[in-house]
Amino acid sequence: MHHEKQSPNTTNPFASGDEVLGGGLPRARTAIVNGGPGSGKTMLGLEFLYRGALAGEPGIFIGFEEPLDQLRENAATLGWDLAALERENRLFLLGGHIQPDMLTSGEFSLKGLLAAASGKATEMRAKRFVMDALEVALRLFDTPIQVRNELHTLNNWLRGAGLAALLTVRPGVRGGALAFEDFFLSMGDCVIDMDVRMVAQVSTRRLRVVKYRGSGFESNEYPYVITGSGLHVAPISTVGLRHKPLGEKITTGQPKLDAILEGGYRRASCVLFAGQPGTGKTILASTFVRAACGRGENVLYISFEESQEALTGNVRNAGIDLQPEIASGRLRFLCQFPEAMGAEEHYIRALADIEDFSPAHVIVDAISACERMGGKQASFDYLMRLLNRCKEKGITILLLNQTSVPTDITGISGNEISSLVDTVVRLDYKEGFGETTRLLSVLKSRGSAHSNQKREYWITDQGIDIADPYLGEGEVLTGTARQVQEEKDRMEAERLEFEIRLKELEIERLQTMQRRMANGIEKRTALRADKPLDDTQQKG
Amino acid sequence: MSDKSTQSPAGRASGAPFYRLRLFVAGDEPNSVQARHVLTRLCEAHLGGRCAIEIVDVCEDFHAAIEHGIYLVPALKVESPPPARTIVGSLSDEAKVLHALGIAGKGVEP
Repeated sequence: MHHEKQSPNTTNPFASGDEVLGGGLPRARTAIVNGGPGSGKTMLGLEFLYRGALAGEPGIFIGFEEPLDQLRENAATLGWDLAALERENRLFLLGGHIQPDMLTSGEFSLKGLLAAASGKATEMRAKRFVMDALEVALRLFDTPIQVRNELHTLNNWLRGAGLAALLTVRPGVRGGALAFEDFFLSMGDCVIDMDVRMVAQVSTRRLRVVKYRGSGFESNEYPYVITGSGLHVAPISTVGLRHKPLGEKITTGQPKLDAILEGGYRRASCVLFAGQPGTGKTILASTFVRAACGRGENVLYISFEESQEALTGNVRNAGIDLQPEIASGRLRFLCQFPEAMGAEEHYIRALADIEDFSPAHVIVDAISACERMGGKQASFDYLMRLLNRCKEKGITILLLNQTSVPTDITGISGNEISSLVDTVVRLDYKEGFGETTRLLSVLKSRGSAHSNQKREYWITDQGIDIADPYLGEGEVLTGTARQVQEEKDRMEAERLEFEIRLKELEIERLQTMQRRMANGIEKRTALRADKPLDDTQQKG
Repeated sequence: MSDKSTQSPAGRASGAPFYRLRLFVAGDEPNSVQARHVLTRLCEAHLGGRCAIEIVDVCEDFHAAIEHGIYLVPALKVESPPPARTIVGSLSDEAKVLHALGIAGKGVEP
């Protein structure tokens, strides 16, 4: 969580890692960055200094591995002019490389280096300090005791110098812990692990804050990338609690769909269009785009399947011309093949556009293509982060999902993101009576009343047209079905009541009969009793 | 500033080379003190004064350390005769120092 902190962390050490570090790297403290070759730890260190220098905090870099000229060249590819900062005394690069003509005789220490750093720090009023590939320097020392002594000296110096320091080290090879590793961990106020691994054939860089004394931090692993503007970390668990509430209803661009949704989509919500190929998802999205741009709002269209030209051409055939919106600068496309880069780089690029362009709405066409970024996990990572970022910024996000077969809602949204989806618009084909009809239905619309009836729709050269309620489809007519059932039940109850009444009458009839029979027996008995008496009287 | 202790360039005869040495130390830390002693003794014993030793304390003159690229101290820089070389450490392994200076050890002079 990104809370206000009392401790004076140096701000903006690298582009977006502040969030992970709960506010930045520690001022007057030491951060240890543990990373293998290619993990970008040198870049992290350089960025820390570069951004510091720009922000008025001069810094010193001591490198033991890469030649300084190479560092300057690498930085130049990111657009960082280190040489200019060096000339202005805002940055000092020092190469602590071992000279090839060096011989040793007896014990020595790194005190010369510290003297140089110390003097320079005072001279240029440095606030930041980076030592890159410290293990290279430490390898010069024969015994673990010497190494430990050097680290103690370094640590004492750092504590005294009041610099925000970042030391990078390469972890021990194959678990063979170097003598100084444990000491390192205790020396650092903040320990960051960085590594590169291959996930589904896509190289993924991950960063993790292992320890951060006296500071809140996110202990999860974060993917990061090194892009044209530096190192970017993409935290995921920091998000979620900062979502903006859903906003007002905004038109879908289609009056009848507005009516179904009782006003339209909600601003800052996540809308999912699910449907098979050719059901008009892109057209429906473009309808919305045109309406939004018409209101003067910016829209970012992320396309993973078609180029800008192909996409705008296709929707133009359906009567939606996006060209004016592109020309006015309200609509921007970000077209990339999913497999062109890893999920995190995709995310960072989208994020860069979101930051730079401030869109009110983002379209992702199509989320089903995201798996090609490197598998299900990559796709999930990308979408979750993008969705979260949009929700945080109050951006409406339209996700288009291409489904192969009609499935349940989880299948429709795919990627297990359904909990974040507010509205689901489902587009279906239906075969029958020798023709194919297209059916649109709203399966879910959070925080809003909506009709759940299926509607027939057509893709015309004037966009999408929706018919009035289609009543012939049994499964969705839950309302009518329920009414029928209720009517049936009522009739059944009446029937039963009638039957009871009938039975009661029957009982009554039987009781009457029983009484009558009983009376009859009595009478006949009485008659029989009289007769013999009469007979006796007649004989006597 | 740097502490200069240049010895008189006497005994330049027999074409023996003259040594220009620069010893980088860090204040009075033990290794630096030791290196200073060892160097003075070796020069007296083997170079017969055919040397100029400049002692640079990097704690006072860090610019010199940066300029010469000396980060490990103590360090002895042999500036002449060529080739230039640097011997890092307290110079406790005297044989190694002499070898590096191109002077064979005692008693095995060619």
